[in-house]
Amino acid sequence: MLYQKIKICIVLLFLLGAGYSDITLAFEDDEACLLCHKYPKMGRVTEEGVQRSYYVMPHVFGKTVHRNVPCTDCHSYIKQLPHKPVKVGVQCDSECHAIKNPATGKNFSHKPIYDKYIKSTHGRKKVTKGHDRDKPYCVTCHTNPIYNPNEDEPPKRIVDRCVVCHEDNKFVINWYKHTSRRIREVKRSSEEIVALCSNCHGDRRLVERHMKAAKLEGRELGRKYPYAVESYNESFHGKVTRYGFKKAANCLDCHADYDNYYLSVHYIRPSRDPESPVSAERKLKTCQRCHVYADKNYAAIDPHPTSNPEDNPFRHYAELIYGWVGDIVLAIFVGLAIFETIGRRRDGVVWKLRKGSSWWRKSKRNRDRVV
Amino acid sequence: MILSSEAREVVETSMKINKVSESEREEIEKVIAAMPNDRVLLYKNVVSNPIGDLPRYSVHIRIQHMLTFVTFLTLAFTGLPIAFFDHFWAEPINSLIGGVDVSRVVHRTLASVMIFSMIYHIFTITAGTIVKIMQGRFEIRRSIIPLFKDLRDFKQDLEYFAGIRTERPEMDKFMYKQKVHYFAAAFGNFVMIISGSSFLFPEFWAAVLPVEIAAHFQEMMRLSHPHEALLALLVVAFWHWYNVHLAPGRFPMQWTFLTGKITREHQMEEHFLEYLRNLVELPEERDYLIDLLTARELEATGVDVVDAEASPEGATP
Repeated sequence: MLYQKIKICIVLLFLLGAGYSDITLAFEDDEACLLCHKYPKMGRVTEEGVQRSYYVMPHVFGKTVHRNVPCTDCHSYIKQLPHKPVKVGVQCDSECHAIKNPATGKNFSHKPIYDKYIKSTHGRKKVTKGHDRDKPYCVTCHTNPIYNPNEDEPPKRIVDRCVVCHEDNKFVINWYKHTSRRIREVKRSSEEIVALCSNCHGDRRLVERHMKAAKLEGRELGRKYPYAVESYNESFHGKVTRYGFKKAANCLDCHADYDNYYLSVHYIRPSRDPESPVSAERKLKTCQRCHVYADKNYAAIDPHPTSNPEDNPFRHYAELIYGWVGDIVLAIFVGLAIFETIGRRRDGVVWKLRKGSSWWRKSKRNRDRVV
Repeated sequence: MILSSEAREVVETSMKINKVSESEREEIEKVIAAMPNDRVLLYKNVVSNPIGDLPRYSVHIRIQHMLTFVTFLTLAFTGLPIAFFDHFWAEPINSLIGGVDVSRVVHRTLASVMIFSMIYHIFTITAGTIVKIMQGRFEIRRSIIPLFKDLRDFKQDLEYFAGIRTERPEMDKFMYKQKVHYFAAAFGNFVMIISGSSFLFPEFWAAVLPVEIAAHFQEMMRLSHPHEALLALLVVAFWHWYNVHLAPGRFPMQWTFLTGKITREHQMEEHFLEYLRNLVELPEERDYLIDLLTARELEATGVDVVDAEASPEGATP
């Protein structure tokens, strides 16, 4: 019995120790949320049978962009500890109370961008029903980005210089991290953008689900909707982007506005909407961003055509004919080569010209080289 | 050997063009008469130097071939991994070259060299033809221009391979395979240049073409560039390399593309009419042949002559 108890104690100690060892808080935890959320095993299995983890890694969260935001600014529904099960969770249009917008002096909020997003073709509420659940919510694309992951602390020579006037070391470090991250190009790379969009648009089951629903509801979908990803991948832009070429257009280069890029990527509209940069009205201007000499003929070119007979019968049949011609030509030439070899071998040719001749074999026709 | 009417015509034209003297004419006729009626015995018994005996290609053609084949293979190597990106070999080959940032520069640079090679070739053959016409030395049947004779040659060659005929047709300097290959390469080159330019200058092609076909043209070119490249590569790999490397008697390779010379046995077997011209143009070849025929006791006899009259085309009696 005693042995059993000791064993349980050892296991418990091990479990606690695994998560608790050497935690140094990188941010203020005035609300004491980490009291529970610091444990790696913190989590539950939902009614739907999904395993959810509620573990917050303090040493990682302490380096993220949200590290100065108190938990309850976003998790505003939590009024007491221990709190009740969360039903809706964080909504990204809520207002921060702890952080002020230095430009306006008002509480900081993502509401302006959220308002734009909700009007886009991707817009959805956090908790929603039906096929809208397939649409991306803010956190689908935006995880909580880490500050300069390769740079734990700013260079000492910079901090030393700044503190001369700004006095507070911690303030200087925070400002450095804040500004250096934003000065860097924080845009996703072309490959990342394509991968991000392909996550949903390349999901065949998701696409088929939406096609079916749109048909039932009599809703219009884009002509390219069923094969957006595969046709882009096969396009010239797609092929070179795949290999890491940075100057070819990715999804957002055409489907989002160039002006005010960071806002417009949240406001993607279907191509039938005149507001879309790829609409018939605005397509030419969009092409001209890179192809400066493009004209209306150029804008008529399909940037990512498919060989699907319903989408592009011309290309479908052209490809079919090319395939057949290739196969036939190959078959003829290989056949001829074999036929020729057999015919000439019958007459006594050897493979290699040696000692002045290739005709050393005995022919079946009794007219051989005089040896 | 009693020459067929076609071969006789070639010899007469060649003697006329080369303004051979009476004594030379006699000598040529003597050699021709001494040749065994069965051409197979002729090319089976000669002694050939593997690196070539008889002149075939000028240094210009050899340079053009070298430029074309080096650029073609490198263009295929840099281009195909991009076009056929979803194949297992694409990514490793592309990485081997140094990624798309390197391969696109290499591809375009080599494309310029290939275009230069094409212009160089067109210039050489055009100028060469004009000079020949002016000198009265041009012979259409000695050129690469396809003739109905090529169809006949092809038919007769198939019959020979099938064992129906006893000898190959009397083919000219460029046989049917070479003509097909030349025009396939020329067409492929043209398609690759036009389609490649539509990748590089899409705005230009859209602007110069009418709106109804601008989009279709671009799509067609995007399809044509990789498909034509693949087709050309397969034809080169399977057919040209067979003909010049793997075919019996040519293994491991013909040296013609380097030395510009063809082996005697090959010239006699596949380009007999051109060999007759060699006999007219090269006195040393006549001497060689007479010596060989005498040494091997292969000179035509009266019996041969009668046989030849019975089947001048070499068909099985």
